[in-house]
Amino acid sequence: MGEIWRGFVEACRLIARLDPYVVKITLFTLYVCALATAAGMVVGIPLGTWLALHRFRGRKLLVTLVNAGMGLPPVVVGLFVYLILRRRGPLGFLNWLYTPKAIFLAEMVLAMPLIAGITMAALQNADPRLRLQARSLGAGTWGSALTLLRENRLSLVAAVIAGFGGIISEVGAAMMVGGNLLLHGEPYTRTLTTATVLEVSQGNSVRAIALGIILMGITLILVWVMTLVQQGTASAHPLRAARDLLTGKRGVVRE
Amino acid sequence: MSDLLSVEGLHQSYGERCVLRVDGFRLQEGRITALVGPNGAGKSTFLRVINLLEKPAGGEIVYWDGSRLSSLGRRDRRKLSREMAMIFQDPLPFRRTVRENLAYGLKVRRLSRAEREARVEEMLHRLDLLEYAERAAHTLSGGEAQKMALGRAMILRPRLLLLDEPLSNLDLPSRRELLRLISELVREDGVTVLYVSHDYHEVLEIADVLAVLVDGELLQVGEPGEVFARPRSEQVASFLGSENLLEGVIERRVEEMGVIRVGRAELEAVCDLPAGSRVKVLVHPEEVVLLPPGEGAGSARNSLAARVMEVRDMGSLVRVTMDCGFPLVAHVTRASREIMGIRPGSEFTAALKATSLHVMPFSGRS
Repeated sequence: MGEIWRGFVEACRLIARLDPYVVKITLFTLYVCALATAAGMVVGIPLGTWLALHRFRGRKLLVTLVNAGMGLPPVVVGLFVYLILRRRGPLGFLNWLYTPKAIFLAEMVLAMPLIAGITMAALQNADPRLRLQARSLGAGTWGSALTLLRENRLSLVAAVIAGFGGIISEVGAAMMVGGNLLLHGEPYTRTLTTATVLEVSQGNSVRAIALGIILMGITLILVWVMTLVQQGTASAHPLRAARDLLTGKRGVVRE
Repeated sequence: MSDLLSVEGLHQSYGERCVLRVDGFRLQEGRITALVGPNGAGKSTFLRVINLLEKPAGGEIVYWDGSRLSSLGRRDRRKLSREMAMIFQDPLPFRRTVRENLAYGLKVRRLSRAEREARVEEMLHRLDLLEYAERAAHTLSGGEAQKMALGRAMILRPRLLLLDEPLSNLDLPSRRELLRLISELVREDGVTVLYVSHDYHEVLEIADVLAVLVDGELLQVGEPGEVFARPRSEQVASFLGSENLLEGVIERRVEEMGVIRVGRAELEAVCDLPAGSRVKVLVHPEEVVLLPPGEGAGSARNSLAARVMEVRDMGSLVRVTMDCGFPLVAHVTRASREIMGIRPGSEFTAALKATSLHVMPFSGRS
């Protein structure tokens, strides 16, 4: 027990004095995951919207694929991306394997269905008459869909957080396609999760605990924001909504 | 008055079920037309088709600019739909402030910021919603929210305003206020209105034209008073809640009159149906005159011995149910009840003018 406690204290010191190795890995992880989430949004939100609002042949199949995608095992995605990116694979010429780009790609494949699926579910539960109202006030097909998205922006926040949370805590795919590498002694494709695995396997529990604390911290913040969103910290204005999120103010404003 | 749009042979079906079949209809410009009918009559479908929110199975609508529904391009569609606005049963506020809600359609139309602000300010003023301008629209009460919805549509200065049961979810005071506002705004701006409701009482206060739609078919269009006095069919009469809808047979004809046997009595009425026809006779309860028993009925053709069965106070009027050989309902004032001593069991002469009876062919449906 004493060893765990000492490790914990040591880890806190490591974080407090901004150990360059730990900081670098943290920033890298946040960077890659944020980028992958953003790319997942760019594809996932329109896809989810389209699936929710349009009826066409093959829609059911796509919906099933998206739903299945929400539960994809990261290791399988890692394997899939590895097979595509390896030298003999169809995208081998890119030379992306064991670079941050490979991690980005794998994480995006993981985040996108999560975002698309939650967006779709939210819009399907939204009042369809709202879109009719928007159209009858002159909005076109796209305009009315955008209005519906805006009306459900809180669900979108939830979708994005779910996507981000899913990939930042994931280790299998990042390990397989990133390789957990150092380059010239500096972390290159090393994320919080893959680094933690490595530190533990090398018996370096202090660093592992430090990385674990950071990962826990990030996850807790995400869960906290998510809870606020679900409890309906709803403002009519996005900036105020952000402020309310940060200050933890609840309830509907301007009653 | 010219027509804003005309409808020819329009029909719509959902699967096997035909929900709308309007052979011909003209919407008069600058007037308030009320489209009434029971629930599920196809009224909302008709509105959505006109508003280009739904494609009909067939038929034609010719709009004010001469464009035809069947040959609208994408661009015409947008242009036309932007000259219309629709209000639904629920106010459907966007989760923004009242001000932003009002500006919605103007923003969609890419009006300049200055123009938007000026129009929103004006509309807030007209609706008397200034103090609510910065409130989140979904926190408004039902009546205020529907006012906001009215403003959100009227701010677009539409040629045609479509109202789909806008008062159904409101309490009586809010209904009155909104009805007054609708009538005021619409007449000031010269907007043509098509107002759908299942409750004709609600629209009578403001409607210039009354159209009755039952089972997807447009049964009668006309001035409200005229439609009430002379419903074209039994279905119209029964939807309009006519109380004395009597069944009878024309026994013989005397010049322009038909002598109709109803129950144990005979009635004379102006009609042009041949002898032997089965008919329905509509007697408006307010046109039944009660006289002391045995007294001559003067100019009224029909004098019937009546025995009072039931007397019910309806608030402003008294409803008297009598037996004249058939059940007949009369509406009298409170004062008449006192003076004439109308109570169950008392006997009178019920006088009906031949012109106040309205005869319709018997359809077997109602």
